[in-house]
Amino acid sequence: MSQAALRSIIGAALLVAFVLLPFAGLSDYWTYTVTIGFYYALLAASWSLLVGYVGRISFAQAAMSGLGGYASALGVLEFGLPIGLGLVFAALIAGLVGYVLGWLTLRLHGAYLGLTTIAFGEILRISVTAEHWLTEGSLGLQVPPLIPGGSRLEYYYIFLAITVGCLAAMGLLLRSRIGLFFQSIREDEDGAASLGVAVTTWKCVAFAISSAFAGLAGGLYAHFVQLIAPSMMSLQEMGVILAMAVIGGFHNILYAALGGMLLQVLLEALREVEQWRLVVFGLVTILVLRFAPNGLFGMLSNIFVRRRNSDG
Amino acid sequence: MSLLAISEQAINGLIIGSFYALTALGLAVIFGVLRIVNFAHGELYMLGGYAYYLAIASLGIPPLAAILIAVAALFVIGAAIEGLLIRPIHTGKIDRPDEYAIMITFALSVFLLNLANSVFGPWPQRPEPLMRGRVEIGELIISGDRLAAASAAIVMIAIVVFALRYTWAGKAVRAVSQDRQAAEIYGISVQRAGLIAFGTGAALAGLAGALIGPVFNVVPIMGVVPVIKAYIIVVLGGLGSIPGAIIGAIILGQVESFATILIPDPSRALAYKDAYGLIVLVAVLLLRPQGLFGTKDRRA
Repeated sequence: MSQAALRSIIGAALLVAFVLLPFAGLSDYWTYTVTIGFYYALLAASWSLLVGYVGRISFAQAAMSGLGGYASALGVLEFGLPIGLGLVFAALIAGLVGYVLGWLTLRLHGAYLGLTTIAFGEILRISVTAEHWLTEGSLGLQVPPLIPGGSRLEYYYIFLAITVGCLAAMGLLLRSRIGLFFQSIREDEDGAASLGVAVTTWKCVAFAISSAFAGLAGGLYAHFVQLIAPSMMSLQEMGVILAMAVIGGFHNILYAALGGMLLQVLLEALREVEQWRLVVFGLVTILVLRFAPNGLFGMLSNIFVRRRNSDG
Repeated sequence: MSLLAISEQAINGLIIGSFYALTALGLAVIFGVLRIVNFAHGELYMLGGYAYYLAIASLGIPPLAAILIAVAALFVIGAAIEGLLIRPIHTGKIDRPDEYAIMITFALSVFLLNLANSVFGPWPQRPEPLMRGRVEIGELIISGDRLAAASAAIVMIAIVVFALRYTWAGKAVRAVSQDRQAAEIYGISVQRAGLIAFGTGAALAGLAGALIGPVFNVVPIMGVVPVIKAYIIVVLGGLGSIPGAIIGAIILGQVESFATILIPDPSRALAYKDAYGLIVLVAVLLLRPQGLFGTKDRRA
């Protein structure tokens, strides 16, 4: 059996597991938790698309998610958009802002890019907080529900479907020529440019795509929890997203997504230890970065592949 | 506006600017030698505040000695962080060093912030200040704790600048930040310079936290806003530039101090107060990434 076949079997098994999960006696509370987990999975995957594949760091991902949340909510509340279109609007706005951010920061790398994206995200968060005539500021904005009177189970399957759809779209994109362009930029920008890759364009497009998925995730989240506040755009929230992607493995969108789900579930399961959860996550993130840069799932898959090779 | 009001704002700006300069100077020293931006700098600042508070509250040490203890403690913490997490970047043990450096310090800030939240609790503490009462110069009234803290900050900045210029270790640190390889060829231990730089940077951040603690309370999130100011300052002055960090801090201190009384519609102005500096940061990075005094890299 080839590695690719093995991978699709594991992917399919995961999908089946998540489809059947609610039938395994999942309580309402845990259905809710796993639904939020899909939000984080999508957000962490969108971040890893940019950081892991294109090698462009961004600390504005939480802000983009919040931007999407507010865009969709205000689109529905102010312009009377149907919620489906509100979500499209969220992805478009976040994608557009992402494109602009990518374009502005074309010349910047490493720490300079990190600082610019922190500043950009913070400016977005401060603006959303300050303009309370529109956003209700830090009081939080009431958002209409995705499905009026919908059950937890309905939300669960909608989130599952959209997350799987988005991950599949990202996977297809990354397998195409565009994915190769992205990775060539990560490995050697000048080399890629000299071989005819339109580096400028693809760097902007990568920011736009990554932000659009984050915006969509934020929009979904807003219409699920029905109350959003600027704190979802904070650097602390960004730290959680980074921990999720890094612990899962940010060089692979699926690992990053699983990291998002894993940490969200652990955050709920370990509620009684309160702040210590984040202490441990911070520490594990540091250890993973230092000793297992492919993340926990990357490490697991490496061990698995090695064992199979030594057996065969 | 009266002359008195202007001088009051100017002095306020100088006091705030001296704290900003301490934090920014630490970032600049670390960037100069190790070529990394320490995204956990705000949490080192916060730890300095707690070290000062604990030294006074649980050990009963007088404030001036507590300041020195906080500085020493943060030097040791900084050196430990460098040895454990930062050094591998320069010894070729990491695949993608740039990415690693950014993420590891960001993750460190998540870790330290929540650690402080868990150990000390999220509520604010107010340690004893260096000096009580107030000082009157003519009609100007300055509260004593702020004046003492700012004076201590200025003394420390002077010591660090002097040490960088004239001591052997300081010269080694400057040599490594100018040219890592050449410094190594001339027999300077770049590892020791890195250790000294990160330790000094952490100690400066810790001192700033310890000095601010009695003025604005010690609380786990106390470093979040000041560190963003420090980013703005080092970017404005040029990443890695020591004079840039000091002059940038003076500029930002004055701008913030006067902006709050010059802009009409006070509630809106206050809400956006923290955004002005960030806009400056973005603008500088986009138009002149080397800042006012930094050296130009081929690729920022």
